[in-house]
Amino acid sequence: MTIPLVQMTAITKEYRGVPAVKTVNFTVMPAEIHAVLGENGAGKSTLTKIIAGVTSPSSGTLTIDGQARSFRTPSEALAAGVAMVFQETSLVPSMTVAQNLYLGNEKFFNRLRGLTIAAQQFLQSLNFNVNPLALVANLGAAQKQMVEIARAVLQKARLIIFDEPTATLTPEEKRYFFALVQRLKHDGVAIVFISHAIEEALMIADRITILRDGELVVTDAAKAFDRDKIIQAMVGRTLSGALYQRHDNKVRPAGAKVLSVQNLSMGAMVRNTSFTVYAGQVTGVFGLIGSGRTEAAKIVSGVLKRNYFNGGEVRLMDRPVTYRLPREAVLDGIVYVTEDRKLEGFFEQMSIAQNLFMGHLAASGPPLVSYAQMAALAEVWRGKLNIKAINADARVIELSGGNQQKVVIAKSLVQKPRLVIFDEPTRGVDVGAIAEIHQLIQGLADDGLAVMVISSYLPEILNLSDRILVARQGRIVEEFTPAEASEQKIMYAAVH
Amino acid sequence: MIGWVRNRLDAFRGRGAYAATVPPMDGALRPNTRLEEAAVLARVSSPDNLVLHQGRVLFSSGAVIMALEDGQTREWRRCAAEVTALASVGETLAMGLADGSLILASDADRLVTGLGRCITSLSAGEAGQVIVCVGSAVHCCDEWKHDLLTGGASGSVWQVTLADGVAKLLAQGLSWPAGSATSGGQTVVVEAWRHRLTPLGGVPLVSDLPGYPSRLSPAADGWWLTLFAPRNQLIELVLREGPYRKRMMREIDPDHWIAPTLSPAVDFNQPMQGGAIRTHGIIKPWAPTRSYGLLVRLDRKFHPIASYHSRADGRFHGITSALQMGERVLVTSRGGNAMLSLAEVQP
Repeated sequence: MTIPLVQMTAITKEYRGVPAVKTVNFTVMPAEIHAVLGENGAGKSTLTKIIAGVTSPSSGTLTIDGQARSFRTPSEALAAGVAMVFQETSLVPSMTVAQNLYLGNEKFFNRLRGLTIAAQQFLQSLNFNVNPLALVANLGAAQKQMVEIARAVLQKARLIIFDEPTATLTPEEKRYFFALVQRLKHDGVAIVFISHAIEEALMIADRITILRDGELVVTDAAKAFDRDKIIQAMVGRTLSGALYQRHDNKVRPAGAKVLSVQNLSMGAMVRNTSFTVYAGQVTGVFGLIGSGRTEAAKIVSGVLKRNYFNGGEVRLMDRPVTYRLPREAVLDGIVYVTEDRKLEGFFEQMSIAQNLFMGHLAASGPPLVSYAQMAALAEVWRGKLNIKAINADARVIELSGGNQQKVVIAKSLVQKPRLVIFDEPTRGVDVGAIAEIHQLIQGLADDGLAVMVISSYLPEILNLSDRILVARQGRIVEEFTPAEASEQKIMYAAVH
Repeated sequence: MIGWVRNRLDAFRGRGAYAATVPPMDGALRPNTRLEEAAVLARVSSPDNLVLHQGRVLFSSGAVIMALEDGQTREWRRCAAEVTALASVGETLAMGLADGSLILASDADRLVTGLGRCITSLSAGEAGQVIVCVGSAVHCCDEWKHDLLTGGASGSVWQVTLADGVAKLLAQGLSWPAGSATSGGQTVVVEAWRHRLTPLGGVPLVSDLPGYPSRLSPAADGWWLTLFAPRNQLIELVLREGPYRKRMMREIDPDHWIAPTLSPAVDFNQPMQGGAIRTHGIIKPWAPTRSYGLLVRLDRKFHPIASYHSRADGRFHGITSALQMGERVLVTSRGGNAMLSLAEVQP
């Protein structure tokens, strides 16, 4: 009988007396791909962090190759052959890709050129198109993810845990990634794969484990599952059809022209792009990574600056506007809900109430702090967006991904915007929270706000949008109505 | 002082008033080929202003007013000069001529003069009145390109009382007023060179249109707006480059100017159109074409809700007039020398 590579018995982990994982029994066999699914807050990350030595269990036992282990640090776990690729990047932004790859494994005498060449060859062997000399700070989310994956592979781990590895990858990059996972499996490496993308788990996993509210619901062979069964196990109710289907075929009529972007240009990323966003509608923007959609949205909201010469024009309510700072855009009623919530979305060590109040301060006059107002604001928005936390004083870092995203959204909405730009609003968010966030976005458009949703997930764009714009190579190249749009047509326009 | 510095800086950087930008044709103005696919009712030379007068469809073509009856066109009246605008107000047919005269024809003709040589549009105002748009005090109707390229803003709007032919000035200093409509006691004027629709004395209802708008006519539940030429970045750039523009106007034949036109280029000497941006086998409307066919349906508040296009590679450009006839809409394509009939006009 094969000895499990990892065996967890009755593992419990508590934070401040609140259990994140409750008496879970979990095994990973050698050379298997094991998907761990569950809503945000289900305990997936906690469970895997225990295996990777990031945190230690409150009770229960962990065995690796049949030997009881208790890792105090990730490096101890790594020495035992367990590596983890985190959802949020753990790279050093001020170092190059090559330096990050070999960080902690440097030779006594380092030769930068040799390091770069080795990194270049290794990245090429993985089919990852990343410049080893690039500073990590200058990389996009997808490329950072690639470097993280490459680092784990480089360390020759016997078990690699991927936490939401494909969330930031394009379809093409995902294909490379899945091929890489299969190759690792073929080489005898076990993979634990945490994902919200159910189809991906069904496609590549050998076994699937589903967690709900910190408890293990089921572990079985992937063949025994289908999409509906997984969702039911994850959320305890059936959502499948409702999640990514338009509830009706009604398209909201366009209201007044709120935003008109004309011939906007920024370096090689945004090239003469033009589009319009109307009040009372959800304008969906689909594009692959590098299509310039995020950069255009960031220029509109004052985060980035357009070209100094002939950079085009942004007109808000038919008035040309130029923002040097995001706050100026916020004061004009433009808010941008970032795709990278960890880095740009919130202050992780602050409470929900403090984060929301920071949003409020950005849109209001002098920075006068009123604790009563802060508490009231937090109470209102926790209720409105159903933010699940122990209390309003809970730090945002302690929340699950879905609830963190809700905090980011609430922080923007307290600013009473007229135009809301959502960039990947449900990235790294569980199915239950996805439904809630979608409902919220629809509600904003119903209330007459102009809403722009940038997403690389086609079902999301198709479900939410009243108009669908497709970005490619720095410009908007196509527009579809929901009636005529299909995944094939949108993808064709985005690629060709 | 600060304003002057900012203006100079904008000119240097290509921003603000010096931004050679054009709004996109998206949303309700999303390109299609519905105008290109419309039925051709008649082939006529330079058909222009369409009106329904006493149950009869009339339209101007040069100095002739033609009638459309049973799908056939026939000469209905010949005038002394080119007819530049028509309007039916009760029993009266108002005719603006290129020589500057306004003829109010009912039982007998009455001549109104002194409005200038450039009557671009006539429309029914309040009871017994006609609203007259005069495009320019400097140029005549045929010289519309000259007016655009010289930054013309000498247009005016007049109200003429049918009973006594007295003209009253309503507004002046406008940039080529090319159409008007009166609704609920409010007269909305189309300013072509400023690409906007503005009620007299009010703030713009629609602005920054992607083409040069002209006439307004009533639709079933709103209005029809014709746009006779498109805007593009090349022309916007030329409009901002004074010395180049002046030299071009001085030295080159107007047909070869980098300026909007009513019809697709047929002469190889003319600037290239349809700039060869081709995706999915279709030349995209943001290619630098100088002519285009665009008819826009507006709601009651004058907001665009649908549009009908003859694109860069199409034939029916230079749309100058539309007339709703029940379920159909008749459209004149001045650049395409055709009278079109749109069958399905629901957005």
